[in-house]
Amino acid sequence: MTANVLILCAAGMLVTAYLMVGQKALFTTIRLYGLQSFLLGLVAATIAIAESRHELFITAALTVVLKAILIPWFLMRTVDRIGIHREVEPFLNVPASLLICLGLTVVGYRVSTAFQEGARGVGHHLIGVALSLLLIGLFMMVSRKKAITQILALLTVENAVFLVAVGVTSGMPLIVELGISFDVILAVLVLGVLVQRIVGRFESMDISRLSKLKG
Amino acid sequence: MDLLLWTLTVPLLTAGVGGLGGPRAVKELTMVGGLALTFGLCLAVAGQFLAGSTPATFDDALRVDGLSALVLVLCGFVGLLSGCYGVGYLRRNERRGLVTPRQRREFYGLIPAYVFAMLFVAMSNNLGVLWIAVELTTLASVFLITFHNRDTSLEAAWKFLMLGSLGLAFALLGTVLLFAAGQGALEEGMSALNWTRLVEVAPGMHPFTLRLGVVFALIGYGTKAGLAPMHTWKPDAYREAPSPAVVLMAVGMLNGAMYCILRIHLVSTAALGPDFSAGLLLTLGLLSVLVAVPFILIQWNLKRLLAYSSIEHVGIMAVGVGLGVEAGVFGALLHMTYHSLAKPVALFSAGTLAQLHSSSDFGEIGGGTLGRAPVSSALLVLSAVIITGSPPFGLFFSEMIILRAGFAGTHAIATSVFLAALVALFCGIAFQIGRVVAGPPPAPGTKAPDPERFDIALATASVAAVLAVVSAFYLPGPLVALIRAATAVVWGRP
Repeated sequence: MTANVLILCAAGMLVTAYLMVGQKALFTTIRLYGLQSFLLGLVAATIAIAESRHELFITAALTVVLKAILIPWFLMRTVDRIGIHREVEPFLNVPASLLICLGLTVVGYRVSTAFQEGARGVGHHLIGVALSLLLIGLFMMVSRKKAITQILALLTVENAVFLVAVGVTSGMPLIVELGISFDVILAVLVLGVLVQRIVGRFESMDISRLSKLKG
Repeated sequence: MDLLLWTLTVPLLTAGVGGLGGPRAVKELTMVGGLALTFGLCLAVAGQFLAGSTPATFDDALRVDGLSALVLVLCGFVGLLSGCYGVGYLRRNERRGLVTPRQRREFYGLIPAYVFAMLFVAMSNNLGVLWIAVELTTLASVFLITFHNRDTSLEAAWKFLMLGSLGLAFALLGTVLLFAAGQGALEEGMSALNWTRLVEVAPGMHPFTLRLGVVFALIGYGTKAGLAPMHTWKPDAYREAPSPAVVLMAVGMLNGAMYCILRIHLVSTAALGPDFSAGLLLTLGLLSVLVAVPFILIQWNLKRLLAYSSIEHVGIMAVGVGLGVEAGVFGALLHMTYHSLAKPVALFSAGTLAQLHSSSDFGEIGGGTLGRAPVSSALLVLSAVIITGSPPFGLFFSEMIILRAGFAGTHAIATSVFLAALVALFCGIAFQIGRVVAGPPPAPGTKAPDPERFDIALATASVAAVLAVVSAFYLPGPLVALIRAATAVVWGRP
């Protein structure tokens, strides 16, 4: 039962990542990220219940509150203020992007088989999903032009790292986890401020325009 | 309260006071006084270490061994220099009416905050805390890069933050994987991520997970150090950030990132033997030195030139460690020390020239600065001589030690390439600096730069220059003892 729930949630995270790649409306992409974080929280909560490890509840709560609610809310507010709601044509069209992501998922799963067996027997699936998510996040980062989508790509990579932490280890020490969450929030705030300044200056958040510095 | 906590609290308080409003004199005094006190506390911590104890607190999450003590002292020193120079730097801009109140608050708040984050990095023994501290250095420096609020500074800050955050995500994944590799042997709780604990259980770690973790962590922290091919943020950030902040980046952050790399290297060495991470470091280091060559030859901007020089030097340190012999490690740490003494002089004098000409582009500065700003130009020439590793200055010795270690060991071909790159870099930097200092002066019609005045910034640069020269002939005994202690840590005899 636990294994099924875990695999379902992890697979859900992968699906949200695919949907993010195929999506051009910024609001929907942000909501998909929120859903992905919520599923990550669910993974942590499931493990916490199954193994009655109570400190993982804090991780789960933190993930849901910060990453599924607070960060999406902040990003949506930023998008609203800027008034740019759609991604311009990405460097690569959607079908080609999805095909590449499929390839990346295969790579992620292939690498995951070399890991030591996780305690729960589903370790491989979680690592496979996490590595695929990581690669898809990296791909999104290089294939998208909008500043907000790049932030979302970075946050997807972050989610992948947390999935590894929850799935393979007995959970990071709580203080470290709190510190990391605090830093992530701070980084998103700083990125948001920077995006607003960039839009104020260039009247666009098209990152491909930031190309004056060379050599 | 513990001495270590004081060392962190003082710069943090300084940042808090500086970030609030208040009269200028108070802010200037707070920053210089606070950073001087911080340096004093760093020296005190190092003194405690040399007296035979190992200062530690919070379950050993903060712990100062030889390596930490060396990096701590160097960071504290650079923090103080940067604070003194920063006061003069901002005064010059104030005189030209370029400073808004918000900029003033940002400057006096963020410089000490950056110093705080660097010291936090240097004393972290816990890999999780280490990651948090490195992320703090990134966040503290973003708004220093956008300080001048130009189009290009936003571009530089964006690249810096995206690349830095990505690097840190990799470093976090590396940390998690190291932690995962030790599952079973490691207990629960905070101390499980302690570096000392990880090195203890390293021989029993799962090799594949560990390898993957080491690669991710080295790439991640290598991004912060500016090792090629993850160096691309560096030239942009150096050009845009105000010079006092660049000094913190070029010396403090570089040393801090090197510190992280060495910690990961040591875990890897304990588990997989010396070859795995040393080979990786040798490759990345050699690549950094080689990448710097063409970009220095075609360079169009003084501060970007120094950024590539910085990439070269971090490459030299990585090569020194990557050679896998004790003499190489000693050379690398000696190089770190001498680089920390010499680089501020170069950046201070370049910063002054850039400020007088309102730009750091070669085209805007024009040649023949020796006639317009004699002191800064002379200091720039002197620092160029030092940072290119010319005798009789310190970096020459450290480079010689690394080269000798390389030729004596098993990496003769790599060392030959390394030597050739060093010679090319010497020629490149000499050519570029010569062009600025002695080249043909700009046409008579162009706007005259501000005259060079003797102020606190120039005084700081001169003092730094004196220290850089004196250090070639005399290094204080305790400093040498620290370098030796750090070598012992990196060579696995703590």
